Amino acid sequence: MSILEARSVSRSFVSRRGLLDLVMRRPPLALKAVRGVDLSVQRGETLGIVGESGCGKSTLARLMVGLYPCTEGDVALKGASMQGPDPEGRIQMVFQDPYSSLNPRMTIGALLSEAITRYRPKTTRADCAREVAAGLQKVGLPADVAEKYPYALSGGQRQRASIARALCPRPEILVADEPVSALDASVQANIINLFEQLKKNDGITIVFISHDMQVIAHLCDRVAVMYLGEVVELQETASLFEAPLHPYTKGLIAAVPRIDRTQRERMPMDGEMPDPFNLPDGCRFAGRCPLAEEKCNQPQVLRAVRGGMVRCWKAPIE
Amino acid sequence: MPLLSVQSLKTEFHGRRGIARAVDDVSFDIEPGEIFGIVGESGCGKSATCRSILKLFGGADARIAGGSITLDGVGDLVALPEKRMGDVRGSKVSFIFQDPLTALNPTMRVGRQIAEIVMRHSKASRKEAGQRALELLRDVKVTSPERRLMAYPHELSGGLRQRVVIAMALALQPPLIIADEPTTALDVTVQDQILRLLLERRDRTGTAIILVTHDLGVVAEVCDRVAVMYGGQIVETGSTDQVLQGAAHPYTRALLAALPSAAMRGRSLTPIEGIPPSLIAPPPGCRFAPRCAHAHDACRAARPALAPREGSTPGHLDACILERGT
Repeated sequence: MSILEARSVSRSFVSRRGLLDLVMRRPPLALKAVRGVDLSVQRGETLGIVGESGCGKSTLARLMVGLYPCTEGDVALKGASMQGPDPEGRIQMVFQDPYSSLNPRMTIGALLSEAITRYRPKTTRADCAREVAAGLQKVGLPADVAEKYPYALSGGQRQRASIARALCPRPEILVADEPVSALDASVQANIINLFEQLKKNDGITIVFISHDMQVIAHLCDRVAVMYLGEVVELQETASLFEAPLHPYTKGLIAAVPRIDRTQRERMPMDGEMPDPFNLPDGCRFAGRCPLAEEKCNQPQVLRAVRGGMVRCWKAPIE
Repeated sequence: MPLLSVQSLKTEFHGRRGIARAVDDVSFDIEPGEIFGIVGESGCGKSATCRSILKLFGGADARIAGGSITLDGVGDLVALPEKRMGDVRGSKVSFIFQDPLTALNPTMRVGRQIAEIVMRHSKASRKEAGQRALELLRDVKVTSPERRLMAYPHELSGGLRQRVVIAMALALQPPLIIADEPTTALDVTVQDQILRLLLERRDRTGTAIILVTHDLGVVAEVCDRVAVMYGGQIVETGSTDQVLQGAAHPYTRALLAALPSAAMRGRSLTPIEGIPPSLIAPPPGCRFAPRCAHAHDACRAARPALAPREGSTPGHLDACILERGT
């Protein structure tokens, strides 16, 4: 059974109109950042959401946590439709930038205590301190970090602290939005291992958003690939990397620079993403797709192919 | 004779907390037509090394404290007066920054920005320079270049902006281009396009490129030779294959072991514990020793020299006194 489910979720953002637009009576421009996404997260799995900038992956993450209301559709936690963030704190979020997501004027201990008492206000001071210490230990931080302010920590330590805070309400699900992108390779490995432990030892369900195919390949059980607000492919990780179904996924994998250059199949993708305010009716990737044909101008549906889901009538591609 | 020879370069940044020796005794040569990668993590001195070559320190209080930077046909750039540096920048060596938005003037159409470089360094008329700008945009495969000439930087996507910056770097056909993380801010499919563009350019015109990056994958894809930097020093250098396939220095090996990949799925990675050394008060001896799993007393006593190992292939040097594989 799925623990968290996005049900035909869409989210639009309306651009602000300037005075000239008002005078000219131009209608506001709407940008559909996420369009009709159906995604169910299974208990205990790590689901990856991958895509390039502007594909809507961060918006989807915020929708799944309840930080944004959905324009259409809804998000269900254990079958119950969510209205805003879960009051019991069963879903927590980890952000990309631990510099801006931790209040610089609070000690790490105070930040963690706040996250505990927010959901369990009756927690005594002593219990709180004990939980803070346990939480720091869980993410591999020394106990004296509780007394420190965020500026005194390194980037990696800060990201650990923000993960510790996300764990304080004892969540069942962590939604992590590019949690390792701002970190150097040697530090990144630590955080990746930490997520792996949380999944294995604590059974926490993880939704892991990243643009980095290698990180996704390493950590996730299943992967959803997004392009311009839509899920274009969903597969188990191993088969996604071995036999991608969608031409975009194939191009994305081929574009990743690799240390062992031998195993690389080239699939040059020219051009860039089209203007999100002015999208084609048919396949949104067709303009860059080397396999595009006339039939691609028709709207594409997500359909089951070889145990995965793909939004391309030509799939499986060879 | 190498195109560029950097010998014992030392660069200091003066700050409130002291003097940071961001580049501490760095030497390397660049041959014509080669792509040389400088790779390392934040604060290792890779950008500072490159900026030293053209003395582009922005507003930072930095100075070159020692060593020489010899450019073929020009001489030692360290001793060159600022006035003459202006002629070197762009025409002999050009620089591509990580963030194209800060490298471009936001108030000027891109066509004019490119034309201005052409006019500054040649006697071309405004019309000729405009024509040249169009050719340059075509060279870097900008679609509908006539229309893009009239665009302001903010109207272009990140990938297009970086192409414009590359067009500007190519404008005077310099024999050497320094590219400081040119694709770090870009999506992976656009990064692929930009890297292919740089490779093609080198193959066609023999332009040498110094490519600064934190991504070992990028090094593997495009570089002929590479230097791995740590704590302001080069710890290993050689051909890309020598360094990536036969890594000798414990830091290079640790960096490779820390990388996630599909092949490692479900297994835990080996992170490098500890933090990078302070550049203000670096540890004595090997700078990696405090984080190195194999370090012993001799490592902490004296700085190991960058030298070939017994039995290593020519051109492969590393700065570690331990036996390989330990």
